[in-house]
Amino acid sequence: MTVQFLLEGTVIGVAVGSIYALIAIGFAILYKSTKILNLAHGELVLFGGYLAIAVASALAGYLPTGVAFAAGVLATLAAAAALGFVVERAVMRPLFGQPLLSVIIVTLALGYVVRGVMVGLWGGETRTFPPVIPAQVVRVLGVPVPLVGLWSAVAAATLLVLFSLFFRYSLWGIAMRAAANEQLTASTLGVSLKRVFAYAWAFAAVAGAVGGILLGLWLGVNFALGAVGLKALAAVILGGLDSIPGAILGGLLVGVVETIVGGYIEAYVRVFGHPLHGFKEVTAYLVILLVLMVRPYGLFGTEYIERL
Amino acid sequence: MAYARPCGDFKTNYAQDMAILDIRLYRVGFGLLLLGLVAAPWLVGRWVFLLNDIAIFAIGATGLSLLTGFAGQISLGQAAFMAVGAYTSWFLTTRLGLPFLVALPLSGVSAFVVGAVVGLPSLRIKGLYLAIATLAFQFLVEYLIVQTVSGMGGTPVPPAEVFGVPITTEVRFYALVLPIWLGGAVFAANLVRTRVGLALMAVRDRDYAAQVLGVNLLYAKALAFALAAFYAGVAGSLFAHYNRVIGAEHFGLAQSIDFIAMLVIGGLGSVWGPHLGSAFVRTLTQLLKIGAPFIAAWIPLLGKATTSFREILFGVILIAILIWEPGGLAMLLRKLKRYIDLWPFPH
Repeated sequence: MTVQFLLEGTVIGVAVGSIYALIAIGFAILYKSTKILNLAHGELVLFGGYLAIAVASALAGYLPTGVAFAAGVLATLAAAAALGFVVERAVMRPLFGQPLLSVIIVTLALGYVVRGVMVGLWGGETRTFPPVIPAQVVRVLGVPVPLVGLWSAVAAATLLVLFSLFFRYSLWGIAMRAAANEQLTASTLGVSLKRVFAYAWAFAAVAGAVGGILLGLWLGVNFALGAVGLKALAAVILGGLDSIPGAILGGLLVGVVETIVGGYIEAYVRVFGHPLHGFKEVTAYLVILLVLMVRPYGLFGTEYIERL
Repeated sequence: MAYARPCGDFKTNYAQDMAILDIRLYRVGFGLLLLGLVAAPWLVGRWVFLLNDIAIFAIGATGLSLLTGFAGQISLGQAAFMAVGAYTSWFLTTRLGLPFLVALPLSGVSAFVVGAVVGLPSLRIKGLYLAIATLAFQFLVEYLIVQTVSGMGGTPVPPAEVFGVPITTEVRFYALVLPIWLGGAVFAANLVRTRVGLALMAVRDRDYAAQVLGVNLLYAKALAFALAAFYAGVAGSLFAHYNRVIGAEHFGLAQSIDFIAMLVIGGLGSVWGPHLGSAFVRTLTQLLKIGAPFIAAWIPLLGKATTSFREILFGVILIAILIWEPGGLAMLLRKLKRYIDLWPFPH
């Protein structure tokens, strides 16, 4: 393993990982404030990618590409937030207080519906954005990175900062943190739990949609993009389910580890002379298994201290 | 013994108190159900394939209900255990030439051993974190299948042969699977009333409290995983010889999630739950698969969207049933029983 390999792995890994982190934040916000594990998150990513591409390509004939793209992004963000509100009101609120597993299965069913609608409307083949960002390669620390990758890393980082500022300083951000900390106390102090849950869903949907747009810019959008949701889930578990910094670090770690370790094993390790194709996809889960054995609540998750 | 539940408790010995079907009405009802299942090939004609389908997945779901419904451990790896059983059965029958009736229990046993090992982390990792750990196991098994035996395609499996009779038709397979299904269901229903079953429920409610009361936590959790895996292994072996081709896509994450969906729709922590859930999910899946082309022909506007139409409808029905009755179908059954017990009074 050369220094060059490590450096390349780290840069590419951080770029991919920042998108994972962004998607993972959606999970973490939702889990922190509603205690719901949202298995439809991958489909929210799909939703963002498909919708933004559809709007951008529909407008591309009338407007300059950049403007069409911006319009597509704005429309998608608004639609994602609306979707979040609708889901919370129509599906999740009737299930308030029901067993955890039932609620998780409902989010799963929701994922089926969203994915079904997306694929039904736009078909299964890979779709790409109109060329907004030139397909050139820039060098970061001497490592060639596609310009798109750099852009998405920057966008993800900006959004991470915006999200953390929102949670730190805005009234609703503080209310959401209060509700996440102790629901009952927060509601006695005048925080509307209904509204907090609605905002949490909207945020999760927006974070997922942005992740979908960024990944769509980089790789194009197809069916398989939903699987990124699982990677983000892995990232959240790695960082600790209810920790937002944990989700960010988890996302970056998953990105870097799968690029470096997975890439290394795929390229150099032979078992009985056979190369291990596709090992990259499994690496993240192996690492998580190891981390969980040492820290059962993830890296930064709240340890639940049991008293009898 | 009374036909209906008497007003008051007139049970005079332990045998009466322990009976699962304690009034005549239940016994008659259960007898009719058994009769219906035995007579099914004559009653439903070529729809027997649906019963075979339901039976295989009900066996797997019964295992998961012991693990998730009774012992409280969420597992996203049930299909992977099924794969262990299926490939063991394939290996034993084709490579070692063992008869199917030997391979079937052995594939259950091999899954049992794997399950006990996979269950060990559950001592330390809990709840949703455990679910992700089992997810890792699921992906590893899928990866191993693709890399070693099946590749991206499938592995052919010969039809089962019982006492010289090749199980090649749907009806013959039904005759094979029905006793296994009923046996597994009755065993599970009785297991949860024994010391072991009570220990599992104590672990579900509060594992450390159970430990203080004398439940061996290591033993109970490993056993719960092993039992779930055993059922899945048997189901996998049956599936392999029923479907005659096995590959990574049959035992994917989607299947594991389907098992959980069956469990939740059927009702968690109920012995009827996995069977009702499997019947519901498999029937819905098959009906939508058969019906989708008709709907497409009927409403041509849908056109290419029919495949996703199936997914959408499945999701909508799932959401509707869980909003309407979060306790699952078993809860409806319980309400019905209660209504009959109290009839003609409302409560």
